[in-house]
Amino acid sequence: MKALRALVNALLFIPDRVASLAGNVVTALVQIWSNKIRSLLTVLGIIIAVTSIISVVSMVEGFGNYVTSFLRGLGTNMMVVYPERVRGPMGEYLRPAEMTIEDIQAVDRYATAVRRTSPVIFTRATIEYGRQQLIGIDLRGTNEFFQPIRNFYVDAGRFFGAVDVDAGGPVCVLGREVLRKLECDESVVGDFVHIDSQRFRVIGLLQSKGSFMGDNQDEMIVIPWTSALKMYPYRRNYLAFYVEAMNEEKIPDAEGQLVRILRQRHGIKKGDPPDFGIFKQDEILKEFHTTRVIATSVLAGIVSISLLVGGIGIMNVMLVSVTERTREIGLRKSVGAHRRDILSQFLTEAVVLSTVGGGIGIALGYAICYIAAMHPNMVEINVPIWSVALALGFSAGVGIFFGIIPAFKAAIIHPIDALRHE
Amino acid sequence: MTDAANNVASGFRAGRDVASEPRTGRLPSVGTDPVIELIDLYKTYRVGTELVHALRGTSLRIHENEYAAIMGASGSGKSTMLNILGCLDVPTSGIYRLRGQDVSRLSQTKLARIRGRQIGFIFQSFELLGRTTALKNVELPLAYTRTRHRRQRALEALKRVNLLDRAHHRPNQLSGGQKQRVAIARALAQQPDIILADEPTGNLDSTTGKEIMDILDSLQAEGQTIIVVTHEDEIARRCGRTIRLKDGQIVLDTGNGDGHPRRDEGGTDAIGEAATP
Ligand SMILES: Nc1ncnc2c1ncn2[C@@H]1O[C@H](COP(=O)(O)OP(=O)(O)OP(=O)(O)O)[C@@H](O)[C@H]1O
Ligand SMILES: [Mg+2]
Repeated sequence: MKALRALVNALLFIPDRVASLAGNVVTALVQIWSNKIRSLLTVLGIIIAVTSIISVVSMVEGFGNYVTSFLRGLGTNMMVVYPERVRGPMGEYLRPAEMTIEDIQAVDRYATAVRRTSPVIFTRATIEYGRQQLIGIDLRGTNEFFQPIRNFYVDAGRFFGAVDVDAGGPVCVLGREVLRKLECDESVVGDFVHIDSQRFRVIGLLQSKGSFMGDNQDEMIVIPWTSALKMYPYRRNYLAFYVEAMNEEKIPDAEGQLVRILRQRHGIKKGDPPDFGIFKQDEILKEFHTTRVIATSVLAGIVSISLLVGGIGIMNVMLVSVTERTREIGLRKSVGAHRRDILSQFLTEAVVLSTVGGGIGIALGYAICYIAAMHPNMVEINVPIWSVALALGFSAGVGIFFGIIPAFKAAIIHPIDALRHE
Repeated sequence: MTDAANNVASGFRAGRDVASEPRTGRLPSVGTDPVIELIDLYKTYRVGTELVHALRGTSLRIHENEYAAIMGASGSGKSTMLNILGCLDVPTSGIYRLRGQDVSRLSQTKLARIRGRQIGFIFQSFELLGRTTALKNVELPLAYTRTRHRRQRALEALKRVNLLDRAHHRPNQLSGGQKQRVAIARALAQQPDIILADEPTGNLDSTTGKEIMDILDSLQAEGQTIIVVTHEDEIARRCGRTIRLKDGQIVLDTGNGDGHPRRDEGGTDAIGEAATP
């Protein structure tokens, strides 16, 4: 019953509390506005801190989203296996690393965690169409599974099938960027182009995927690997291949199995380094994670130093403000202000000051992200809302932490001493 | 004071009584119950190792609707006494009863509450907040006592001092006399038990000073209890009672402390001479 009464009383007081808080905020804003330059200099540290939180977090986040979506685009349960001699002096004594179609077939057949494989020849080629000539375009010689394994489909014409691969015929699929650079449209499907002086019929066009880390995935020519071998016969013993695991969880199993098969086939003794490399998505992720950790710790450093500087600035200016306004405090007390009224007035002022700094920092952070996003090679940047909340929280926290001492000092001033203050 | 202003004034007083009674739950003072009672009050300041006795055994009673002037040489303890009366300070020893309640040993919180609800202070240097309007200045004490209808009450108080047309002016747009009227309105808005004024005309020329005193006179005529600290005999003469301090002690008091103000007895003319050695 008593508790209920207290609760009702407390609730009845809320509008009053809100009103007096609003009054304090208005007083604080007036105070800040009448000392514009001083206030701005005071919150510089906070501005820097918040600007760096917003811009760095947004960019790291932007890259993160980019990497994730790129990896999803690659196909989530995909690996690339390629012949690679072990680096350094030790590799010099070993025979050149080799990978043949038999190796790939063995993996396909015996590795149970592997759904399918697709041999791939990576090279660069010159392509000609009409009067246009493009030099050094990425060429992939692969098989009909390229589409599902890489999650990379044609959206005009068709992809080559098993028949084309077996025949090793002169058919090709082009990326959108190649099309653009050749200055032609989709009508090129069915027409002929020259790839390294060989006549190829264009049978399909790949969907647009965008670029990754400056590497444009749309600037690509795909032909059957058998056709590629005819053009580049020395590649026969240096094949790479895509591996698709049964599902994402099976990737480690698939890797273990193919490693065992390849080591056995290549006669690599236990403890010796392999003569092939495996590229997995989690490697990209790991690399990216390191970058993210570095960026975050640099950010944390900048932020904590500038918050500290900003906080001390606020404390300093609030102490000055309390001294300047001693008479005002005396007057307020003489007309009935309690200590807690004065305390909350000055605390509110400190918090409003630091939050205004935080607001400016957020605006600057947005501006930096906006400007950065204008660079053509930049990833898409969105300011995450949680970083705004975090920044505002930090700045308000600094206001409270560094404002409490000056506010307390103001609150305990004796009214008589305050009114006598010159 | 014009008749119109007086009418406005009485309207304001009427509003005041209705509003104040349920708030405090106090009965209007009758008979000989003093509003203020000081018993053997001492105030001692310590400056370094030296002790300064600002008040030395002062006893005093002020009744409802009294109009008292506190006089005395500089340093005689007038402000010290007024500050204690206004609960801005506490005595070193002795008892101070305000409306029967001993307030000489109260905590800061309780003193703040009394300052907000029972005391209206008027200062020599006005003490208005420079960045806000006259109206906001008058509303200030009401905000601290969480009073309802602040704006309305503040406007009524400004009307009472004839400054309604300056409600939205800032102090730096007002003359000295107008500032002091805002300060009076601020005290009035509190609907205090007593108004304490420490040399309210000290910073004003004599004409403006008279205007201010006219307002205080009319407030007293409407039932307000007022204590004024002053150096000027002319001002003291307006008050019904003069209390003269010397070295922290009351050396002359024309009131008898029985609750009957001597406003009409015409004895005030002699005070100046009586106290002058
Ligand atoms: N905070 C203080 N610390 C030390 N001494 C003080 C303090 N306040 C007042 N005094 C001393 O107490 C005595 C009375 O001071 P008070 O201010 O009450 O005088 P007053 O009568 O108001 O003088 P005036 O007419 O000049 O205003 C003076 O001797 C003064 O020096
Ligand atoms: Mg004085």
